[in-house]
Parts: sequence; C-alpha cells; structure tokens
Amino acid sequence: MSGPETPPETPDDGVNRDDPMIAAEWALGLLEGEELLAARGKYATDPNFAWRKEWWDDWFAPLSDAMPGAEPGAHVWDGITARISSQQAAVGSAAPEPPASNVIALEARVRRWQWMAGLSSAAAALALVWSFALAPSRSADQSQPVNIAAAAPLVATVPIGETGLRLDVTYIPESEKMLVAAIGLTADGVHDHELWLVPADGSALQSLGVVAPGEVHSMTLPHALAAKLGDGAKLVLTREPIGGKPEGKDAGPVVAKGAFTPV
Amino acid sequence: MAAHPRQSADDAREALQRAMARLAAGDQSALEEIYRATRVKLFGITLRILGDRKEAEDALQDVYVNLWQRADRYDPTRASPIAWLAAFARNRAIDRLRTGKVRGGAVAIEEAAPLPDESPLADALLVDAEQRAQIHKCLGALDARTQGHIRAAFFEGQTYAQLAEAADVPLGTMKSWIRRGLQRLRACLEASEAA
Repeated sequence: MSGPETPPETPDDGVNRDDPMIAAEWALGLLEGEELLAARGKYATDPNFAWRKEWWDDWFAPLSDAMPGAEPGAHVWDGITARISSQQAAVGSAAPEPPASNVIALEARVRRWQWMAGLSSAAAALALVWSFALAPSRSADQSQPVNIAAAAPLVATVPIGETGLRLDVTYIPESEKMLVAAIGLTADGVHDHELWLVPADGSALQSLGVVAPGEVHSMTLPHALAAKLGDGAKLVLTREPIGGKPEGKDAGPVVAKGAFTPV
Repeated sequence: MAAHPRQSADDAREALQRAMARLAAGDQSALEEIYRATRVKLFGITLRILGDRKEAEDALQDVYVNLWQRADRYDPTRASPIAWLAAFARNRAIDRLRTGKVRGGAVAIEEAAPLPDESPLADALLVDAEQRAQIHKCLGALDARTQGHIRAAFFEGQTYAQLAEAADVPLGTMKSWIRRGLQRLRACLEASEAA
C-alpha cells in the first residue's frame, strides 16, 4: 500500500472529519454511495449541516467562472417547457405543493412503512423523505383519480434519490407479468436490493424478489400476489445482504419507493 | 437574445434576482428569462463536468425543471443568484456523473457549440468579484499539490479514488491530503468573513 509519496503519518490523522468537513467533501463532489445518501438525508433534517453545505457551495461557486460558457441546443428549452407542461397537466390547475407540507405527510407515511415492514433505519427513512420532498409533482401524480380499462398496464418508477437512477416496473394485468428494469444500476458486491409490493389495501408487504442490476427481468406473479396489485399499490426498495432479506430477519433500510399508476 | 445589449454586472445580477423572486412567487414566465440569462454559463458547467453534450443537455434540462418545481428554495439574502444556480447546475451534473452511466472526465472543448456573438450575460453574470478573489487567495495559500487535487475535484468531478489513482498514492493518503487542505481552506475563508 505504500507509494513513493506516502507520508509517514497514518492516513486520517490530524483531520477531524466533522460535519463541516463532510459538507465540504460533498460540495466538492467527492462523496459517493452510502455516504452521499447519508449526507442528503442530513441535509434535509439538519439545518446546521444544510447551512454549511450551502456555505461551501457559495465559496466554491466563483471557481466555475473559469469554466468556459457554451450554447446548448435549441431543443433544450423545448424539452424544459414540455416537461413542465406535462407536469402541470398531471397536477391540474393546482400549483405544485409546497415541499414543507410534503415532507410532513411523507414522514407520516415513512413511519407507517417502517412499522409495517419492521424497518429500522431512521437515516434511510429520512433520506427517503428527502427524495420525496424534491419531487412534489410525482406524489401529486399518484393522487390523480384514474378511470382506465382494467387491463391497462400499470407502471411505477422508483427514483433512487436524486441520482437520476431509477427502477422501472411495468405490470401487465392480463398476463400477470411484471417487468423490472434496473438499467444503469450496478451491483456493489456487498448488498442486494429487494423490491416489495405495498398493497393498496393495507395488507402486509410482499416480496417481489431481488433486483438484478443492469438487467430487465420478467416474471409472472403468483395469482395471490397479482390480486393485490392495482392502481395505487406502492413499491419500496430495501437494501439487503447478498441474496435478499434473510429468513426470520427484519427487512433492511428502505432506499427508494414508487407507486403504480395506469398508462 | 439581443434584449440586453451591454448590461453592467450589477444590472444583470439585479434582473436575475428579480426574475428568481418572480419565479418563487409563482410567475412561470420568469423561467424563460432566467434560462436566457443563465443557460450559457450553466451549460458550460454541466458540459465541463460531464464531458458529453447529450448528457450535459439532459442535466441542464433537469436544472431548470427542478428550478421551476422549487424556486422557493432560493433565498435571495444568502448568495448571488448566479452563484446559487452555478452550484445547483454543478451539483446536478455531479449527481449524474455518480450514477455510473456517464464516463465523464475532461471535455473536448471543440464539442461545445460556439458562443453566440452577443452573449453579454455570459460576461456579466460572473459571481461576485470579491468572493472570487478570496477563494482564489485561500486556495492559493495551500501547497500546490493539494490545491491541484481540490481543483481537479471541482473542475473534473473526480472522486477520491480517481484522484488517488492519478497521483499513484493510496486512497487514504489522498483523503488525508484533501481533508487537511479543506480544513485550512475553511479556516482561511472564515478568517476573511470575520475580517
């Protein structure tokens, strides 16, 4: 492990990795994976940490003046207006819900999930609340009344934080077939992620199995499971040891969630 | 884009500030004004971090759609709007980089479309000059090696692991170097605020 320039000290000596330090690392873009998720959760719940992150962002911002400007294609603005109008259509004439009230409502929902699923990681739950606070329009989508033929496929997207990563889950009622697309996800070699159905009727969570990173996986649902899957049914993704939730143990922390809506 | 021939930096900043306030109050027409004023700078940032035009344009879209969704998060008393937007754009680009879908790295500058002839706001919309001088001064006070690594993290979006590999040192060593640098940087910036 020793390179030519390795200093004699042990790697972390003399540096207290306190919150302001973690905020600096995050502002610089150095955090990854679990640490990044934890920092985001803390940002949503700890005003001092949030203040410090923005303090660093402000100080680093002038450095970006050295990045040369560039003209984006004209289609970018068209894309922005298209995405905004589709979101406006989804929420009707109502203005986007203020994030604060979303957070409160979602905290209540997260507590309910934790109770239902025996989830224990407060940090993951808070990170989850955070991810929802940033996507008010998505939760608004879910509350839309729908009247669509019973056989209409149901789709759910399960965004993973603000990473841009997501699971796409499609369910085709006629065939009781479900497609789980985990494109872009990569295995970390230490964890698996297990997908759970949260039935709309409030009954117990049902495992839909371990997600195969980077793959589109097709499965036929057992009839009993398919019966519980309808508009408004929710999905949660938990982090588990390799192979999925061990028998007799509580499920791992929730890292993401979504809900089915008809297309 | 020719609406603002040669704005002064202060005018541009104030116009942007007003547009941000209007957007926060629910006036959606303000978004287009903000886009016109800031797209060149923000696209420069996402392109630099992502190194891919398509990805950078997608990230840019995310930035403005998100801005529309939660303009109320912007606190006009905290920072100049362009500093806030620049950090926002860079953060979104870094998020995208960390998804693993994007290779990232240094961008070939030739890939960027030429700037429009009139891009007054690209000049005018610089972050506060005093603040810029101070961060450069405090960074400049670090040893050259640490400074180089912190700059590479900022400009190339490199991770600790990438920086360690490039410098051919153990990961822990790189973390230690950067953390010590950040500690000194914080002390220097805080001292400048107290002065």
